[in-house]
Parts: sequence; C-alpha cells; structure tokens
Amino acid sequence: MNYALLAPEITLAIVAVVILAIGLMIPKGPHKGMVPLTILGLLLTMGVTGGQFAANVHGTFLNGMYYADNYASFFKLLFLTAALLVVLSSTEYVQKLPAHRGEFYALILFAALGMMIMAGSGDLITLYIGLETMTISFYVLVAYLTEDGKSSEAGLKYLILGAVSSAVLLYGISFVYGLTGSTVIAEVASSLGSSISPAIILALVMVLVGFAFKISLIPFHMWAPDIYEGAPTPVTAYLAVASKAAGFAALTRVFLIGFQQQVYGGSPEVVLAVLIAVTMIAGNLMAIPQKSFKRMMAYSSIAQAGYLAIGLLAGDQAGVKAVLFYAMIYVFANMGAFTVATLIANAQGSDQIKDFAGLARRSPFAAAVMLISLLSLAGIPPLAGFVGKFYLFSAVINQGWVSLAYIGFVMSMVSVYYYLSVVKTMYMEPGEGLPKIGLGGASKFTLFVTMIVTLFIGIYPTPLAQMAISAAKSLIR
Amino acid sequence: MVDNFGAIGIILIFAILFPIVMLAIPKMVAPRKPGKEKETTYECGMETRGETWIQFKTNYFLYALVFVAFDVETIFLYPWAVQFRKLGTFAFVEMFIFIAILLVGFWYAWKEGALEWK
Repeated sequence: MNYALLAPEITLAIVAVVILAIGLMIPKGPHKGMVPLTILGLLLTMGVTGGQFAANVHGTFLNGMYYADNYASFFKLLFLTAALLVVLSSTEYVQKLPAHRGEFYALILFAALGMMIMAGSGDLITLYIGLETMTISFYVLVAYLTEDGKSSEAGLKYLILGAVSSAVLLYGISFVYGLTGSTVIAEVASSLGSSISPAIILALVMVLVGFAFKISLIPFHMWAPDIYEGAPTPVTAYLAVASKAAGFAALTRVFLIGFQQQVYGGSPEVVLAVLIAVTMIAGNLMAIPQKSFKRMMAYSSIAQAGYLAIGLLAGDQAGVKAVLFYAMIYVFANMGAFTVATLIANAQGSDQIKDFAGLARRSPFAAAVMLISLLSLAGIPPLAGFVGKFYLFSAVINQGWVSLAYIGFVMSMVSVYYYLSVVKTMYMEPGEGLPKIGLGGASKFTLFVTMIVTLFIGIYPTPLAQMAISAAKSLIR
Repeated sequence: MVDNFGAIGIILIFAILFPIVMLAIPKMVAPRKPGKEKETTYECGMETRGETWIQFKTNYFLYALVFVAFDVETIFLYPWAVQFRKLGTFAFVEMFIFIAILLVGFWYAWKEGALEWK
C-alpha cells in the first residue's frame, strides 16, 4: 500500500487537528491569528494535491476501495479552493460571532476532508463515511449562530433531513451489497454485468434519491431554501458550492463506474432526465418571487444543480468534463456573490434583496463583482458561466437529448430576470441612509480573485478545460 | 428458488393469521364487564405531579456523546489487542494515531466544559 497516494487527505487531516488544537490553546478572543494558519494549511494541501494532479498520479489501493486519480484530484482542488475562499471571505464575519470562533475553521477543514474522501472513494462504505464526515461538520456549521433562532432551526432541519437522506442512501447501498456481494464500485459493476432487474432498479433509485437530497434536485430540494436562509452566510456559500460538488463527485463515479450499463440506455436514464428537466424549470421559476437574497440563491443553486446533472446524464467523457468545468467556475461565481452578501450581512445584519439598494454608490467594487458573478451564473458571454453551459449543453445534445438542452436554454434566459433584479436594485435604487460598505483586505482579495477568474476563464477557458479533460479521462477511458 | 419463497409465503400467512386468532379467542371466550378504570387508556408508571413538559439538562447528552466515543474506541482496541503480535509495529503506530485524534476531541470536550455539571 502506497501511502504517498493519500498525501492530500493525510495533510488536511493533520492540519485540521492542529488547527482545532491551536484554537483550544490560545486564549478566548478574536482568534485573528487562526486565519493565516488555516490558509497556510489549505495552501499546503492544495500544493500536495496539485502536485499529484500535475504528475497524473493514477493509483488504487485497498483492493479498489480508494482511488487517487486526476478525477479525484480535480475535485479535491475544487473543495480546497472553495474552503479557501470561504475562510478568506468570512474573516470579519467570524470575528463578530458570539462564541466558538476557534472551531469554525477546524470544522470547515473537516468538512473539506470529508468531501475529499467522497471524491476519492471507490467503495460505497468509504463514500458514506466521507459523506457523513462532511455532513456532520455542516450540521454544526449551519447551527453556528446559537443565539439566532433561524440558524438553530436550520441546523435542526438539516440534521433531520440529512439523516433521512442518509438512511435512504444506506438502504440503497445495502440492496447493492445484497445483489452483488460487494460494496467496491468496480466489483459491483463486474458482478452486475448488463443484467437489470427490479431489485437493481430499486437499489439504483434509492442511491439516486440519497444523492439527489445532497445535490438538491427537485423534488428532493425542500431543505435547501430554509437551510440556506438560516445558516451563517459564509456557511451557505460553502454548502451551496462545495457540498453540492462533492455530491456530484461521488454520484458521477458511482453511476459511471458502478452502474454504467444499468443507468444509461434504460429507464433510469429517463428518470434522471425527468428529474433534471423538473429541477431546471421549477428551480428557476421559484427563484423569481423571492425577497431574501439567500433564498433566491438557494433556488438558483437548485437550478444550477439541474444544469450540472445534465453532464451526468450525457455520461461520456465530454459530459464529465463539462460537469468538472462547470462545478469549478460555479465555485468562483457563487463565492463572489456570497462574499458580497456576507459584507452586506456584516454591515446591515440582514439579507433581503432590498438591502442591496445603492450598492453601486456605497461600494462600486463589490457591486461590480456581484454583477459579474450573477451574469456568469446566468450564463451571459463572455463570462465563464457561458462557456460552462456551452460544454454541458453540447455534451448532452451529442447524446441525443436535444429537448433537455432546449429546456436548459430557455430556463437560463428566465434566470437572467431574477439575477438582474438584484443588479437593478444595486444600480438603480438610491438606498438612502444605508451604511457605506467597508472592504477588509481579505474580502477585497476574495472579490478580486473571483472576479478575475470568472472573467479570465470566460475569455480563455483552455487551461481549465484541459484540466477537466485530463480529469475526465482518468475516470472514463 | 420458488420453494424458498413459498416457505416465506407460508410464514407470512401464519404471521397475519396468528394475531387475528389470538385477538379473536378472548373476544369469544372471556366475560365482558366494563368499568371506569378499565375503559381508560393504558399507561404504565407513576402518575405525574404537576407539569409533565419539564426541561432537563443537556449535560446528560454531552456525557453520553463522550461515553459513546470512548466506547467505540474500546471496541476498536479489542481486536487490535488480540491480533497485536501478528500486526506488528505498523498497527501499533496506527492505533496511536487513532488514539491521538480521539484525545484531541476529548481535550476539546473537556476544555469546553462538557464534563462539568453546571
């Protein structure tokens, strides 16, 4: 067994435990020094993961229970990037927290570790452990504002619904084990062959439902708006981008490796297609009447999950590449928007869309970043979101799902309406009497990075596309 | 294959019929003398005094959590101890890493006052 393959996970685990220990040792206070330490730890892990990616490491160990390939490395880089941006954007927010500032960073790192295990796992039980490591960290993070009723409610709701979805997923996994006698994904595939029976369909549907909860496909989305609204804003951002991407990382590997012959070309494919169509239509339509920015972004993220799942439906190399590409740019676009929302929440203590009034005057830079992020989410050229959607839709059209791509196009146009209504509030309304928004160094840096990346990838997508292709190739050959 | 499921089917039929028969026999045989006490809903235990919706300390829960963590650790330690000679130095180091991670968690619980009865 080659432990070097596990280097990213080991590094992050050590960093997380050390951060937790440091949080205990230093006296209670603003805990300012923990931010650079956390960032340093994340950068170190990113370096290790990036090294593996560049070296095109491809290994499995423990009889195929764990993979270290470029597909996993790509997702690991994505989670670490998301964690890094969350830590940077939440610096000022965390200092305003009433208590438990030290654990915040440790929990973010533990959640990232769980996601990394999910991306790398080649075994359903390992995958489940990664999933729970991530989700349990999130239960705590969502309920972090102990004095705030909404946050506690969100935490409790997430705990109950998360437990239910985990139970469904585990039940599905137990069926898979009963049918094949193995939980290793590659062995499941070889044991199932091309056979398809009602029991296999049942197992597949349960696994799909378990993951659909995590990536919030409609009709398994009802937890998302309440929890996104109640959670602390940086946690909402982390939940929206990273936990969703982790769900996709695991689901894609399970479907494309484990159940390739069962899912594609049969009735499960149609079920997936219907779920995606409903998610795109309903997610975008329900976002329109929202008054709260976080609720609107919750429905927007549901719709984005629909777009992402299109690549999963395509199920070939181009589809996987599109999922990887879109997931990465989604991190930057969403983090840009949520960083601005965190600034507003810090200054005004609220997250309604009307609180963004006059932001163009109060902080032109934040307003510009918000504009670019929202337009990228809507998929307007020349921003990154356009390229991502182009890859996704072209991949699915090549597989003959033209109608689904058509729904995607139309609903993207619908989404422009609610994204631009925020922009209208920022630029057209005066916002008399609202405070000036002060940008701290870390927030400014986050905003700058997300803006530059969103613009750069939109104009010159080749480097990221090359990375995504290399990752997709390591999954499907 | 069909025979095996046939056996399950017989058990199923038996399982459905058994309680019905058991409920039907007393209905037919037993004498029926209703009274006030007999008509009330069955409840076990003492009758409560005052409000039943009381708050109880969440410290119980924290103790339980710490207990579960160490319980699971012990379960892991047993097979390790039994197979210790075969597993060698590697398992020795590995178990120490495991215990170290657990101890950090315990340290956290201690420091945050989970073990204090306030």
